[in-house]
Amino acid sequence: MRCEELEPIIEGLADGTADPGAEARAHLAGCALCTRRGSQARAIHELLVRREAPAPPPGFTAGVMARVQRQRWRAERAVDLGFNLAVAAGVLLIVAGGVGLAWSLGLLRIQANLAVLLEAGARLGGRVAPQAQTIGVAGLLLTMALGLWWWAEADSSF
Amino acid sequence: MRGTPEHELVERCRNGDETAFRELVEQYKGLVFAIMARSVAEPARAEELAQEAFLRVHQGLPYFRGEARLSTWIYRIVANLLAQERPDLATVSLDATFDDSDEPRVQPGADDRAFGDMMLRDRLDKAIRRLPVPYQVLVNGHYLKGLRYEDLAEALNMPMGTVKTHLHRAKRQLRHLLETEFR
Ligand SMILES: [Zn+2]
Repeated sequence: MRCEELEPIIEGLADGTADPGAEARAHLAGCALCTRRGSQARAIHELLVRREAPAPPPGFTAGVMARVQRQRWRAERAVDLGFNLAVAAGVLLIVAGGVGLAWSLGLLRIQANLAVLLEAGARLGGRVAPQAQTIGVAGLLLTMALGLWWWAEADSSF
Repeated sequence: MRGTPEHELVERCRNGDETAFRELVEQYKGLVFAIMARSVAEPARAEELAQEAFLRVHQGLPYFRGEARLSTWIYRIVANLLAQERPDLATVSLDATFDDSDEPRVQPGADDRAFGDMMLRDRLDKAIRRLPVPYQVLVNGHYLKGLRYEDLAEALNMPMGTVKTHLHRAKRQLRHLLETEFR
């Protein structure tokens, strides 16, 4: 047996997990190079066995929990932002609907002239009254959106 | 392993039980931190990475279906984080034979101070950090106890039967590094 054939199994010999066989044992007994490699491998193995595991610092778990909280808070903020944007879009839609409605009723033709505007304001009540149903639905939608928002806020802050 | 049975702990964590997650961290922090600290020289960075590992566990728990053991899954996260930390050492060819051109030309009776003095522990630490990350996790995990061959094989995507061989290769690389670069 040559040294190069023995070299790849030196680690197995050193940690006792490989059986070298009679031929290898005979070579080892008479070879200074392989004996030296074997003792180096054994020194490494023994040092690895003896090494103490580094312990985590005292505040480790608290640090993890704080980071988990921060992460949750950030996620909630993203959800909140999305929700606020959705509510704003809803409000905008309702306002646009109202403006459209007013336009279709001819209320917006009274621009600019303040006196006419005030006069029109008085008439507005009477003209909007028939549209009470539409305005009611819009109001209901807004209330539902705000309610949903409140519910999401309450649910995500456990 | 002490404490709550694994599946129960996972279930409680999934239901948002903070005490359960704290228990999970307490249970695994020793091994997770030790593996990180063995592979990353800077202690503050090692702690940060170990915390990051648990953060990923927390994020991943809703999707953890229990096909693997919890410990295996956690060690895989640790190995992935270390691979990201050292992209230059991220992989090892699992079926590559060791390149014998790396073999140092050592003559019998040559100066043996590389293995003889008190600084060996220090140099060994440095040499381990030069190994490919899977070998680092293999050597550190194996000698930290607590990690079985099955855990290591699964966490590193190695066939179970090759773990011992790879462990020997890793230690052989260590021996060569100590002979050549960390004398
Ligand atoms: Zn020989």
